[in-house]
Amino acid sequence: MKYSKYFAVLVLLIASVVLPNFLGLYQLQIMNFVFVYIAFALSWDLLLRSGQLSFGIAGFAGIGGYISVLCGYHFALNPILCILIGSAVAGIVALLVGYQVLKLRGLYFSIVTLAIGEIFRVIVRNLEVTGAAEGILLPNAIFMGNAFKTYWLMLTIAAVTIIISILFKKTRIHYALTSIANDEIVAASSGVNIFKYLVIIFVVTSAIQGMAGAAYWQIYASVTPEGAFNLGFALLPITMALFGGVGTTWGPVIGATILSVTAEYLKLQFPHGHLLVYGFIMVVAILWFPRGIMGVINKITAKFNN
Amino acid sequence: MAILKTTEVSRLFGGLAALIDVSIEVNENEIMGIIGPNGAGKSTFTNVVAGVYLPTSGKIEFCGQDITRNAAHEKCHAGISRTFQLTRPLVGLNLIENVMLGAMFGRNHPMETARKESMELCKFLDLKNIERPISAMTALEIKKMEIARALATKPKLLFLDEAMAGLNKNETMDMIDTVRKIHSQGMTIVIIEHVMRVIRELTHRVVVLEWGKVLCEGTYDKVSADPRVITAYLGEEAEC
Amino acid sequence: MLNSIVNKFKQRNFLLGFIIMLSVIVLIGIYKPAVLVEGLQRAALYALIALPMALLLGIVDIINLAHGEFMMVGAYFAYFMSVQFGMDPIVTVLPALCIFSVFGIAVYYLTFVHVIGKPPLNQLLLGFGISLILSEGMTAIATNAPRKLSLDYVSSSASIGDFTFGTFEFIYVGAALILFVVLQTFLKKTSTGQAAVAVGQNLRGATIVGINVKRIYILIFCISIALISAIGPLFMTRYTLFPQMGSSFTLKSFSLVAVGGMGSITGVVYAAIILGMSETLVLSSLKYGKWAEIIYFALIIGVIMYRSHQRQVK
Repeated sequence: MKYSKYFAVLVLLIASVVLPNFLGLYQLQIMNFVFVYIAFALSWDLLLRSGQLSFGIAGFAGIGGYISVLCGYHFALNPILCILIGSAVAGIVALLVGYQVLKLRGLYFSIVTLAIGEIFRVIVRNLEVTGAAEGILLPNAIFMGNAFKTYWLMLTIAAVTIIISILFKKTRIHYALTSIANDEIVAASSGVNIFKYLVIIFVVTSAIQGMAGAAYWQIYASVTPEGAFNLGFALLPITMALFGGVGTTWGPVIGATILSVTAEYLKLQFPHGHLLVYGFIMVVAILWFPRGIMGVINKITAKFNN
Repeated sequence: MAILKTTEVSRLFGGLAALIDVSIEVNENEIMGIIGPNGAGKSTFTNVVAGVYLPTSGKIEFCGQDITRNAAHEKCHAGISRTFQLTRPLVGLNLIENVMLGAMFGRNHPMETARKESMELCKFLDLKNIERPISAMTALEIKKMEIARALATKPKLLFLDEAMAGLNKNETMDMIDTVRKIHSQGMTIVIIEHVMRVIRELTHRVVVLEWGKVLCEGTYDKVSADPRVITAYLGEEAEC
Repeated sequence: MLNSIVNKFKQRNFLLGFIIMLSVIVLIGIYKPAVLVEGLQRAALYALIALPMALLLGIVDIINLAHGEFMMVGAYFAYFMSVQFGMDPIVTVLPALCIFSVFGIAVYYLTFVHVIGKPPLNQLLLGFGISLILSEGMTAIATNAPRKLSLDYVSSSASIGDFTFGTFEFIYVGAALILFVVLQTFLKKTSTGQAAVAVGQNLRGATIVGINVKRIYILIFCISIALISAIGPLFMTRYTLFPQMGSSFTLKSFSLVAVGGMGSITGVVYAAIILGMSETLVLSSLKYGKWAEIIYFALIIGVIMYRSHQRQVK
């Protein structure tokens, strides 16, 4: 039974690697969106598994984006290196902030994550070295705009996120996170160092978001304050994870895939207010399908097995 | 030899004094009982020693080390474990996974070792069908699982907070045997209980708490005959 | 009530904080009187917008992320009434209160009633979904184009000595004061208000003593929605209208409630005063004016960090 799962994943992997040969330029571009949002949605879900709700995706993606573009602009570094540096800086910011704020929970933690992005947005908008309100423009996009290589880069980032999510489910970290999310007092009484694990997961997920953001803006070869720290990056992945099914690896992946493609389609059909459908999806999901698509799938397979 | 020594430990919640200058010693390998009317501070005492709350004042020493300001997980690593008055199973994990939590994080074992040890503990406590979710377990089984989870951290001192609550006669006998089994392996146990029969059968020494203070201590027979203890539980004789 | 105020003054910390705030205000008044007046008006606007959320979130613990969007809808309603029927927006406040109470009840029964008692994540995401529906729906209906009414009385001003200030904005000060007094009276003097406080503090206890918790939730939700929607017309007399205007106010109101202390109406007012004053102060500085946006974020983070340090004792 288990091997069929591994086989399916292998098939999926091979399919995604060879896919570019069958898609046009526009569709490849959409796939880049899909991969970025997979990384965002899944990394958000990872933190949620510990019980912490973050609105910081936009913040860390923006930090990653800005740092990577700045490295390319001021130091002309290799774009891949820029992406890694962007990811690292996002992780460091998460470490510094997390050390202070992870002693708090719930609403307070969530507000601070939101504030991070907004603060950095205002900072980069007001400083000359970060391009002020116009932002920064790179001379070249990563890989000189080669669509295939860009695709594989984003695929790698999404794949890394998926792998990390699977690892977190199969190792002791799963136990730590679940215990923290279920009952912190029991977790602590059983020896779990709650603070340490929360910081770890916060840093890892923020680094992922920084990496995805860095890669994304390298593709566009530019950053602007409102673009890089756009709150859409914070909120849309949450919808996607919810829609696909929080707490699972493939839920956010499914949700991100379906909803990014849908958003593109909707944008073409309804120039004004295309996110309206998103809003309805969220409301319907919360009210009737809190476990998302994965929940529905699990229910169906459970009925099948009985 | 005192394994646990609290010196004038107090715990205030705002204006409410839940513990006032509580000084208790627990000797190695003894079974000590803590009794007292509701609100006496029994569970608060457990919570303070186990690290859920910090004491407002006083000192806690364990195996000679000062652990007064340690966090809960540090106290667990030092060797203190406890169960909860109202059971708190982790619903996101199944039976064996709950127990493994203690082995993995209380002892820092890798997953396979933790699993093996947890399975042995389940056998020791007579828990079957270990892959069950919490929803498929009875109350007694959940209690036993909590004890297994606490034992998985290989503690030196185990607090059983009202482990007999809600059990019928047979289940209580079962639990008494279990406690004896655990004790025979060299464990020091503190039992917080309301059921006097259990205290009488199991404990070597008893401490009585009332309104956050230690009222008296001694063997069960001595304590149960003490007029102050009787008054604390039953009130004073009415004047007719 | 006078007694409780006097008692508060007897607490040393409160007195100290009050004196500091008073002296800062006086200093500002002497050196930059324009900042004092505008800061007060801005603070009043923030307080006005935050108070309905203080009622819903602070008292009965319901988080409504669509808060700002309801204000936006109310503002568009007033715009519509003004353009179609020539009604002055201030006149539409009362009809707005009535219409949006009904709207609030409808929204509650359709959505929020299902997530009461569920994890806060559900309420957060539901509110976010509703806010998307409202803002995107309004974009679809009215497009993104900003709209503004030009009303003469809005630009009225007065002068003291050689500094002039807008006088229309004092309407916000007046409205905020009225709302504050009404809310305090409601919460402290009426049995329904006290029941609401009880529900927020101890849900189980409230049900045990016989409070109809379901009715309290509907009532408070409905009041909150009605209030914030009715503030919309007041807002749009002076400021520009566009579908996305709500979200920044949701965030600010939320921060004010969190910083002011959940459950404390007066706390929210103090937080609003501090926020309004500091924003205006920074804005008035030519060199650092651009950083004004950051003020309230810095404020929130500061308070939250302070609270996290206080939490060292479990």
